[in-house]
Amino acid sequence: MLRRDFVRAVLAVGAAPKLLLGQQAANPAPPPPAPVPWLLGLTSKTPIPHVEAADQVAVGELRFFTAQQMATLTRLSDVLFPPMGQKPGAVQAQTPMFLDFLIGSSPDVRRKVYSEGLDWLDAEAKKQFNLSFEKLSDAQADALLKPMLRTWMNDHPPTEQHADFLNIAHDDIRTATINSKAWFVVPEVGAEPRTTEELYWSPIEPDISDRTNVPPHVQAAPKSGHPMPSYPR
Amino acid sequence: MLNETYDVLIIGSGHSGGMAAKILTEYGIGCIMLNAGPVANVTHDAERKPAYELPYRGFRPPGRLEHVFQSNEFNANVWVDEQEVPYTFEQNQPYNWVRVRLFGGRSLFWSRQSFRLSDYEFKAKSHDGFGEDWPISHADLAPYYSRAEGIFRVSGAMDGPPQLPDGNFTIDDAPWTIAMQRFVDAAKPRGIPVCKQRSAQGRDGLASSVNLLLPDAEKTGKLTSIANAVVREITVDKNTGLPNGCNFVDRLSHREMSVKARVVVLAAGTLESTRLLLNSRLANSSGLVGRYLMDQVYGPGVLASVPEARRGNINAVMGSSAIVPRFRNIDTKTDKFLRGYALNVTAATGAVGARNFAAYGTELQRKLDEYYGSGFHMTIMGEVLGRYENHVRIDKDRTDAWGIPVLHVDTKYTDNEFNMSKDATDTCCELAEAAGFEVLSKNDKPNPPGYSIHEVGTCRMGDDPKKSVLNKWNQSHDHRNLFVVDGACFTSAGWQNPTMTILSLSMRASEYLAGEMLRRNI
Repeated sequence: MLRRDFVRAVLAVGAAPKLLLGQQAANPAPPPPAPVPWLLGLTSKTPIPHVEAADQVAVGELRFFTAQQMATLTRLSDVLFPPMGQKPGAVQAQTPMFLDFLIGSSPDVRRKVYSEGLDWLDAEAKKQFNLSFEKLSDAQADALLKPMLRTWMNDHPPTEQHADFLNIAHDDIRTATINSKAWFVVPEVGAEPRTTEELYWSPIEPDISDRTNVPPHVQAAPKSGHPMPSYPR
Repeated sequence: MLNETYDVLIIGSGHSGGMAAKILTEYGIGCIMLNAGPVANVTHDAERKPAYELPYRGFRPPGRLEHVFQSNEFNANVWVDEQEVPYTFEQNQPYNWVRVRLFGGRSLFWSRQSFRLSDYEFKAKSHDGFGEDWPISHADLAPYYSRAEGIFRVSGAMDGPPQLPDGNFTIDDAPWTIAMQRFVDAAKPRGIPVCKQRSAQGRDGLASSVNLLLPDAEKTGKLTSIANAVVREITVDKNTGLPNGCNFVDRLSHREMSVKARVVVLAAGTLESTRLLLNSRLANSSGLVGRYLMDQVYGPGVLASVPEARRGNINAVMGSSAIVPRFRNIDTKTDKFLRGYALNVTAATGAVGARNFAAYGTELQRKLDEYYGSGFHMTIMGEVLGRYENHVRIDKDRTDAWGIPVLHVDTKYTDNEFNMSKDATDTCCELAEAAGFEVLSKNDKPNPPGYSIHEVGTCRMGDDPKKSVLNKWNQSHDHRNLFVVDGACFTSAGWQNPTMTILSLSMRASEYLAGEMLRRNI
């Protein structure tokens, strides 16, 4: 080694710790070589992916109402809550399909109110106008619906047969429409109702002890001749 | 510390348990508090969301919480799940048992209305001959009411008639709004008093055990708390026959554990405290544990519209609220029902609900625009009479998620409550019309018993051990080291929100207990 090379090497060794320290200050220490702790790096700064509510971008199948009942409900929704100004109506907010899901998941009493109510409405349309409800004009629908509307207070819908269905359905159609994203994204004008926005509570430390009764998943591979030692918990 | 015997075991962490913990620990008494549910931390358990982000667009999840009318998709996870902790009733007699097991209990979620009972309640039998008098009067409880009102920062005006005793208020001296003044003017010639609302302001927007009571107890270093501790039964010393602690099961792991204490204070909420006594077979020499279940009639009411406030013309017209204390059967007597009801009255400033119009589509929207800001709400809080036959008992055929036998609730309203509801609705209509308001909708049918979340009774207090479960200090007649400090002790329900009375009774009982313990009488 030439003398000047030796001097350069000595100087470099002497400067190295300072350079390394400088690097450390500028860049945090790199992660340790794999394997690393699984949750390393997950912090409050971790970006949260943006997702959509499924029923904004996907369609569901009719699960509860018959095709005829859905046709009646769709027309009823359109009559009771049509588009107004820039705001969408119930049909544009996918409310009938949402109600198929909601009512189909509900207790029998509510399912019956809807099923019988929609059947009654269609039968009444045929009786009075010789048309199914879905084909009625606005004026014809009004003649059927208006006499059945009532005023009522929370938790006490009218109890008369058919008026119960119509007033409950009206309330549900309005709530489902106003609480849809289609409604939310159009700014309100004047006293137009607003989408409900509240504090949503997640399940708080849910009791998961029942999982101990859930049978384990089927093993993916057959047991080998050299099983691993097992100490089930 | 393992195997430690605590001075006092407190079961429940709501208003009554929190007050007991505060008072006892401030006297230097070591307490252990068990709560059946977890600690709620709003910063990571809750976030603000629009309804469209939720699977049911804000509707109550189908099939859940059928008897919690107050629930919706936003708050469904804070109520006790009816499948996890069921209760039974006859199909034609539904009962709405509305429960919260989070640490702090229902003190986290309440309407903040803060009233005293008067001697029309404490001495109700002396006034009208029905039921039993309480063993205490308003004068006995008044000093404790004052202190509780101070802690909870109750706002109100000193405008109460004898049936609504005044208290230690942050004074509300704002003038009535125009709409409310017209209501007051309509009520006066009919002998109906209208008073300023009385409401707990609390601190930082919250008036709960967790921010007004438990921090004081924790500061003493004398309080040990356990969350997720579902108490199975109170244990008894085989030699003395006295309660000496409890067995509990961890809510999450189902691990069975126990704690020991010299004194047991039940503060689990009226029906849970009673369920524990029944499951433990304690304090029931009178046979009255579970009897005389009461609450208040909610549901009936009227919504009217104030004409000059329409189209949002609310300035100076709308925006105040009032309480009409009971006025029936005070100076005069009606033959339609015993006792009486109060009215909550609000001149609201927001939208009037669509249900108040028999219209749809664009016609409905025109109505909503026109009536915006003009809603005048009147709703009843009616006293339910204490009847022996209205009771709870253990259902031997059902258990909850931890194998603990559940309650069967056997209660119903009678003509007294139905007639009261009808009278209230008729009166509201009469007052609204006299004030020049337009009645939009009305209802005279009560919600099911329990809806008010003001269930009281089932361990009532009295001087006669044969006619009551507790003495005037909330102490079991049968076991001197057993206290019940929640609403179970009520001898009559009154029309008033019971919270201030529960807080004051718990404070009074706890000071008595502390004195007895320091004197070594317990």
